Amino acid sequence: MKKVDKETLKLAAQHLMFEMSDEEYESLLADFDSIISKMKILGEIEGIDDVEPMTFPFDVTNSYLREDIAGEPLTREDALKNAKDIHNGMIGLPRVVK
Amino acid sequence: MRYMDKNLREIHNAIISNSVTPLELVKEAIELAKNDDNNAFEYICEKEALEKVRKLDPSKKNNLLYGIPVVIKDNISTKDIPTTASSDLLKDYVPVFDSEVVTRLENEGAIIIGKTTMDELAMGGTGTSGHLGTTYNPWDKTKTRIIGGSSSGSAAAISAGVVPIAIGSDTGDSIRKPASYASLVGFKPTWGRISRFGLFPFAPSFDHVGYFTRNVYDSAYLLNILAGRDDKDSSSSFEPIEDYTKHLEDKLEGTRIAVINGVIDNVSDKEILNSFNKSIEYLRQNGAIVDYVDIDLILLEAIQPTYFIISSSESTSNNANLDGIKFGSRIEGKTLEEVMVNTRTNGFSRRIKDRFIIGSYSMLEENRNELFIRAQKCRRLIVNAFNNVFEKYDAIYCPAAPTIAPKINLKEDTVFNKVNISEHYMAFANMGGFPSITLPLGFENSMPFGGNLSSKPFQESKLFNIANYIEKGTGLSDKVAKRD
Repeated sequence: MKKVDKETLKLAAQHLMFEMSDEEYESLLADFDSIISKMKILGEIEGIDDVEPMTFPFDVTNSYLREDIAGEPLTREDALKNAKDIHNGMIGLPRVVK
Repeated sequence: MRYMDKNLREIHNAIISNSVTPLELVKEAIELAKNDDNNAFEYICEKEALEKVRKLDPSKKNNLLYGIPVVIKDNISTKDIPTTASSDLLKDYVPVFDSEVVTRLENEGAIIIGKTTMDELAMGGTGTSGHLGTTYNPWDKTKTRIIGGSSSGSAAAISAGVVPIAIGSDTGDSIRKPASYASLVGFKPTWGRISRFGLFPFAPSFDHVGYFTRNVYDSAYLLNILAGRDDKDSSSSFEPIEDYTKHLEDKLEGTRIAVINGVIDNVSDKEILNSFNKSIEYLRQNGAIVDYVDIDLILLEAIQPTYFIISSSESTSNNANLDGIKFGSRIEGKTLEEVMVNTRTNGFSRRIKDRFIIGSYSMLEENRNELFIRAQKCRRLIVNAFNNVFEKYDAIYCPAAPTIAPKINLKEDTVFNKVNISEHYMAFANMGGFPSITLPLGFENSMPFGGNLSSKPFQESKLFNIANYIEKGTGLSDKVAKRD
C-alpha cells in the first residue's frame, strides 16, 4: 500500500482539484492511521480473498432496452440555465490561447 | 383547528368533509415552516405551493395525498425550485426537471412546501454539517441535541408538526437514525423499489430514496404511491408492486424474527433495552417466534469501515462534475483549471474534502486491492451473513441506536468515530439493498428512541405487517414534539 504522508494527501487533493490548508492535511493524516488499521483488520477476516467483490446489493438480470424512439432533449436554454457567463448560447471560460 | 399534527387519513377526511381546504392546509404548513426554529429549511416554497394548490385538479380529491403539504430533502431535484444539497457549491443551483419521487407525489395532489436542510451532500450522520449550520432536534427544547442526519431537516420538520410527510434519502442510515432520535417512522425500501431519478448521487450502490411519516399505515400507503419501475432510472426494479397496506393486520403466527446478539450486546441503556424487550414480548404474545442469533462479530465490526471506504470511493467520482462550469457557484480564475480548483476549494467544506481524499486514496492503483476491493469483498461477506439469517427468519429486529439523540459536538463525526456496532450496523441494509424501517419504541428523559426492522428484498409487506404490531404494542404513533 502506498505510504500515507502529507505529500500523498496533497497529490490526491491536486487530482481532485481542490486545496486544503496545512492544518487540514495534518488532521486528516491523523485520521488515516485509524482508517488503515481498521482496513488491515478486514484483511484478516477468514475467507475474504475467496469471494468476489460486491459492487451492487444483489444480482439483477435485466434485458430491458427502451424503444428506439427519439425523445425531447434538454433545450439549450435549460441546459445553460445554471451556468455563469453565457455568450451567444455558449458558456464563457478563461481564454486558452492568449 | 390545527391539521399538520394529524395523520394522512385524518387530514384526508377533513378535506372530504369540507372541514378544511387544501389551500388552508398549505397556508398552515407554510406559516409553521416560517416559524420553524430548528433550522429545518433551505427554502420555503410559498409562492410555488400557493400557485400549485390553487391549480389542484378537484377530480383527484379522493386521493389520500390530495392537498397534503410535503417537504423534500434538498438533494432531490425540484424543477424551478433551488436545490442545494446544503452545499455552498450548489447554493444557486435550480434544477430544470423534477425527480421521479416529486412527480409521483404531485400527480397525487401533494403540495411541496419546502426543501429541507441536510448534512452537506448527504455525507454525514449528525445534521451539523450543512452550509446553514446545525439542524436541531425539536424534542429537545434546550437546542443542545442533534436530530441526526443526513436527512436532518426532513426529520425536524415532520417531528415538529410542520407537515405529515417528509421525503429523505438513506445511504447508510440517513433516514432510519434520525427517525429513532425523533419518534418517527423512517423507511427505506428495497434498492430499486423507489426510483432515484433526480436524487443527487452520493454512493449509488448504497443510495435509496425513502421517507418519514408519523405512523406505519402512512408509511405503507406512501410506498403504494412511490414504488414502481421508472425507465429514467436504470437501477429501478421491474418487480411487481403491491398494495402495501393490505397485510398490515395479518396475524403474526409463524412469523420468525431474529435479534442479532452482537448488536443488542452493545446496547447498555436500560430504558432502551427495557422497551425493546417489551416489544419482543408483545410480538411473541401475538404469535411471532423471536430468536437471538449470532453473526460473526468481526463482520459486524467491519460494517462501518467497509461502508466508509466504499461510500467515500463512490462519492469521489460521482461528485467530479461539481466544478462550477455547467452549474454551481463558480469562482473565477485565470485558467479553466484555476476556475475548477477555486470553485471546489471554496465550495466544499473540509469534511467533504476529507471524504474525497480518502476515496481517491482507496482507489489508487497501488492501494485498490487492499482498500477499495477489499471493502467490496467484505461487503459480500457481510451481506452473505445477513442473507443466511434471512434464510430462516422473516425479519431482523434490533434497537435503531444505542442511545437517545446525542449532544451536539461539532468535533465528532469527522472521519471515524470509535466503533460501536449498535451505532453503525444499520448500513448492512444499504449494502444488501434490504428494506428497513425504524419506528418509535419509547422515551428517556423526554427524548425518543426507536427500533429497527429489516427484511429480505421486496418483502416490504411483511416488514410493514410486523412494524404495525410493534406500533400497536408501544402505542407510539402520530407523535409530534410539543411546542412551547
